[in-house]
Amino acid sequence: MSEYLKPLPRPSAESKPYWDAAREHRLVVQKCNTCGEFWFPPSQRCAHCLSDDHAWTAVKGTGKVFSFVTYQRLYHKGWDGEVPYVVAVIELDEGPRMLSAVVGIPPEKVACDMAVKVVFDDVTPDATLPKFTPV
Amino acid sequence: MNIQPNTAYRDKYAIVGVGNSPLGKVPNMSALGLVEQACVNALDDAGLKAKDIDGLLVRGPDDIYTFHQVIGERLGINANFSTTTTNGGASQILSVIMAVMAIEAGLCTTVLCGYGRDSWSRTHRTEEARMRSATRSEEMDSSEFGPEYGLFGAPAMHGFGARRHMHLYGTTRDQFGAIAVAFREHALHNPEAMMKKPLTVDDYRAARMIVEPFGLLDCSLRSDGAGAMIVTTRERAKDLRRKPVLVKGFGTHNNLKGWFADDNMVNTAAGPSSARAYAMAGIGPGDIDCAQIYDCFTYMVLTQLEDYGFCKKGEGGPFVASGALKLGGGLPTNTSGGQLSEAHCEGVLQIVEGVRQLQGIYGADRQVKDAETCIVSGHGGNTVCHSTLILGTAT
Repeated sequence: MSEYLKPLPRPSAESKPYWDAAREHRLVVQKCNTCGEFWFPPSQRCAHCLSDDHAWTAVKGTGKVFSFVTYQRLYHKGWDGEVPYVVAVIELDEGPRMLSAVVGIPPEKVACDMAVKVVFDDVTPDATLPKFTPV
Repeated sequence: MNIQPNTAYRDKYAIVGVGNSPLGKVPNMSALGLVEQACVNALDDAGLKAKDIDGLLVRGPDDIYTFHQVIGERLGINANFSTTTTNGGASQILSVIMAVMAIEAGLCTTVLCGYGRDSWSRTHRTEEARMRSATRSEEMDSSEFGPEYGLFGAPAMHGFGARRHMHLYGTTRDQFGAIAVAFREHALHNPEAMMKKPLTVDDYRAARMIVEPFGLLDCSLRSDGAGAMIVTTRERAKDLRRKPVLVKGFGTHNNLKGWFADDNMVNTAAGPSSARAYAMAGIGPGDIDCAQIYDCFTYMVLTQLEDYGFCKKGEGGPFVASGALKLGGGLPTNTSGGQLSEAHCEGVLQIVEGVRQLQGIYGADRQVKDAETCIVSGHGGNTVCHSTLILGTAT
């Protein structure tokens, strides 16, 4: 297997459950047990009501492309040969927005509000990146 | 929470001198040296000496700790009030605002504000620096939810906003191009501007793409340079050599929930920030004679002009394409060439240019005729922080 040259996520104490679940191909987001809202990125307390009573909760894994950009210039050697590529803000059906990649579609076909679903990319034995592809 | 800007500040404070360092490619000067030079030039412009300054609010590259202390040491100033402002491109107007508030509080009387950077030199001084800049800067990378997906650099974050605006309102790249073209025209009248060649929309279209929807000419310049301003009371300004430029109003807003939250990337913090500035100044967008808008990327000009009320949300595309931004147009904007074509010093040069337009120092090719008011914007802190300054001539 060739060396993986892209940066890997460096989880914090708060985000570790997210990345652990991703490795098991589950997309989980913090859900507040007090007000019922989901939030992302991970933090200690509910971003809506500051309750510290929450549960990492599986989400459907479906959503839409809120916005996106297409890299036409190489910023990092890890993407050598992969330009152009799409980086997007994904809005999950449950509400939270997250930074990810849109894959499995030519960049010029990606559009805002396009429906997408999660796919899991096992980039190394220890790291899995949730990405999104058209439904 | 409803807040009421204090209208007692209106026209009570003034900017009495401005200065800038050499701009562009200045490899023989450090960021500190550039700020020092801009400060000395601002003192000369005001007819003041360093001993007259008792407040110092400055900023430089974020890796220079307590920047204000080093500048104070260089200028021989013990300040009654001083700090390094750190709110990205919103910092420089914030310095002026903090100066006014500190004087009002009786903490100081005469404040020197400034900012400078050596961004061109940092990325070109050595072969290693050139290589690093051709790939990326690691110090700005977050640890997750970004770089692992290939998210690097400021163009992408602002590009998300541009793309969303295009989707919602049908805004086009050619409309972004009209902004680049207008500011380049202005730069041709500015001997200090980095960009010297005329630009057409065809040139804009032909430029290589960077991070779509942005091409090379949507992106601001990498520059060495600094600017500085001196703030004091209107009363004290009477004795000074320059016609004072009055601070009519100011405002700030910070969408700290983030660029991805709500609709912040198309309805930016510029909206509430400018509303407060207009309320303090007692005027509206129709009373503004010229504008200096933070142009890190073309799209940011378009959305801020909407947020500032010069056209409705969503109508920024046709507005900028109408020629309104050019000298002689309805709202001459970035009359120095801006950060897209003069030099990018995180908004400080936009304050300097706004003051000079109201000092009325330029020849007919660059002067906004009969300019009595100018609005200046500062945007940054990585996309969500905003400051607004409304300047006016003394009547």
